[in-house]
Amino acid sequence: MYFEVHQPFRLNRFSVFNIGKNSSSSADYFNQKLNRQIFEKVAKKCYLPTNEVLLNLIKETDGKFRISYSLTGTFIECCERWMPSVIDSFRNLYDTGAVDFIEETYYHSLAGLYDDLTEFKDQVAMHREMMKRVFGYKPQIFRNTEAIYDNRIASTIESMGYKGIITEGTEKILSWRSPNYLYKPVNGSIKVLMRNYQLSDDVGFRFSAKGWVGYPLTADKYAKWMASNHGDLINLFIDYETFGEHQWTETGIFEFLKHLPHEVFKHKHLNFVTVSEAADRYQPIGDIDVPWAISWADADRDVSTWLGNEMQVACFNELKDLGLKIKDQKDPELLHTWRCLQTSDHLYYVSTKGFEDGNVHAYFSHYDNPYDGFINYMNILQDLKQKVS
Amino acid sequence: MKIAMIGWEYPPFKAGGLGTHCYGLTRSLAEKNVQVDFYMPKTKHRANSDKPNLKIIEVGETEIFPYDRPNDKELAGMFFEAVYRYNDLVVQKVKGRYDAIHCHDWLTVKAGVALKEKYGVPLILSVHSTEYDRSGWIYPNDWFINIEREGMQKADKIIAVSHFTKQVIVEKYGIDPNKIAVVHNAVYPLGQGEKKNLVLFLGRLTIQKGAEFFLRAAKKVLENEQTTFVVAGMGDMFPKLIKEAIHLGIANKVIFTGLLTEEEVKHIYRIASVYVMPSVSEPFGITALEAISAGTPTIVSKTAGVAEAFNNCLRVDFWDTDEMANKIVSLLRYDPLHRTLSEQGKQEIDLFTWDRVASKTIDVYQGVIHT
Repeated sequence: MYFEVHQPFRLNRFSVFNIGKNSSSSADYFNQKLNRQIFEKVAKKCYLPTNEVLLNLIKETDGKFRISYSLTGTFIECCERWMPSVIDSFRNLYDTGAVDFIEETYYHSLAGLYDDLTEFKDQVAMHREMMKRVFGYKPQIFRNTEAIYDNRIASTIESMGYKGIITEGTEKILSWRSPNYLYKPVNGSIKVLMRNYQLSDDVGFRFSAKGWVGYPLTADKYAKWMASNHGDLINLFIDYETFGEHQWTETGIFEFLKHLPHEVFKHKHLNFVTVSEAADRYQPIGDIDVPWAISWADADRDVSTWLGNEMQVACFNELKDLGLKIKDQKDPELLHTWRCLQTSDHLYYVSTKGFEDGNVHAYFSHYDNPYDGFINYMNILQDLKQKVS
Repeated sequence: MKIAMIGWEYPPFKAGGLGTHCYGLTRSLAEKNVQVDFYMPKTKHRANSDKPNLKIIEVGETEIFPYDRPNDKELAGMFFEAVYRYNDLVVQKVKGRYDAIHCHDWLTVKAGVALKEKYGVPLILSVHSTEYDRSGWIYPNDWFINIEREGMQKADKIIAVSHFTKQVIVEKYGIDPNKIAVVHNAVYPLGQGEKKNLVLFLGRLTIQKGAEFFLRAAKKVLENEQTTFVVAGMGDMFPKLIKEAIHLGIANKVIFTGLLTEEEVKHIYRIASVYVMPSVSEPFGITALEAISAGTPTIVSKTAGVAEAFNNCLRVDFWDTDEMANKIVSLLRYDPLHRTLSEQGKQEIDLFTWDRVASKTIDVYQGVIHT
């Protein structure tokens, strides 16, 4: 089981009339009051209680219950700024020896999709340094933002020395093959862990859906489903906010979690491993070829969530093109601002995908609609451009 | 099914959404095998129907005033008298067997209620606007409110053009929410023209429509951007608005067109780059759908009915002229935004058909007939 833990720095309202007129610092782009409110709310509803449940489970099972986390750089900054106790509770988990961490880009960015991957590698290195500083740990497994993956990213990560990389176990790539094995890229030998989206989304999306045939989902039922899966391993990769935030306490999600390991251990052939243990234990059984990027997002399982319309592409290019100039300036604050603006959430808010996915987008967005998201983000990018030149 | 519909206006002559709605609704009802006799005041323009199921029956010699809430006292007196005379004449004129009576707004309430009582058939009242909307929530007039309330109480079912209006009917008129169905409006798409660098307001120049906020936003935009603002329409605020434009120092950048013909209206929707509907109170706002159907990105007041029904538009508080200006400039400056809103807007417009309005209206008819 692996959990993604992330917070973006949401933006302040920035009018077109402010462009080039605001002489104050670029740090003012971020609405830290709102970010703090949201962070503190999620910490109380999700991070702290879930960490406690998982810590108890590890103790109860003598470390046989094993899990992995990916913590983004912006998330760690939130903790350090507003609630350092959250980091302590992650340290407590790490100290059990039953927990490991996953690498990713520090800013949870789309830098893996840039034509030049220098910035991508820089952000991975920043995350590595952060993990070393905060936990004294060196991750072996990489998972890109929202599991975005293609052959190019895989070979870059392999060349940086990682043992494994995580992505979505979508039929688009696997076709008839099972996600319950390790694979390797057609152009390399790094081990690829494929998310079992069926079982992962049963918890993440469908847990409290009353119209779903699996409702109500109990730990013993879920453990039986796991037990009936064939293969070497089941990759359960779940957004951490599922616990207590997307699925409220009242849905019974914590009770489910508390019982899950015990129910799983009733099946003799099942046990838990961390992602790095999984990569050590198993060998790839086949190649995957991913020339076009996939991800775990939306029904499309590609990058259209962030680059699906013209407005998103315009922002993406605008931001990317600012990079060379910003790096020339050697101004650390400007560089950090530019990178915080690369967090994928800002483009997610500009998605116009309709119906099912659009509803999910609206749930996560603090804008009235994607157009407002575009205007605000683009105004800020224009202002940053003027600050740089 | 046979319906006697009591209307007030019908294209080619119309002053507002009520006429547009009746036109689209009656034609689509007729196509769905509902027989509609549409009663309306006789005008110098003749309204026609080319559908066998739809008969337009013109009543009396009443002259229609192009205002729904005249401010001038003398004009108002004549107007109310005309409304009363029309309602009386309709009651005399309606004969024969109908399954239901369907009337629209306070203008036709008296006739609707009298006919319901005379023939003992169900009454449906469509509410396109209330006195609270027309007054911009400033000194609403009890005289209108009482007529509206009587109609709402006596009607077997009320059709509101938005949830916003439903809420007003519940809260201000004390009506049971279960008696109110919401049916959002529709549009016959106009098709796109070649865009010019102009920003459009189109509507009656009354306190309800908020044109003065459009001018204040224009001032802010013009400090940063080269464009032309067009105020299309006529109404009692006209002299005030001209003074305001002069006072703001933007008179050379604002064109007041006066009343436009139907063809001119279509043309200006098609060539405008941005349409703004800053209504103080807007039960629905069909003009927004018309502009969007012409591929024109549209900024609407947050409280307008259309804002709750339509996704691909921008929303502002009508009083927040800074934000209105921010959005106008963004639309003029950022082509990807303009193109996306234009394209996605036109796609979404396809869902807003009169056929859908007619189906939902038939559901309402079926709910009250035979009960």
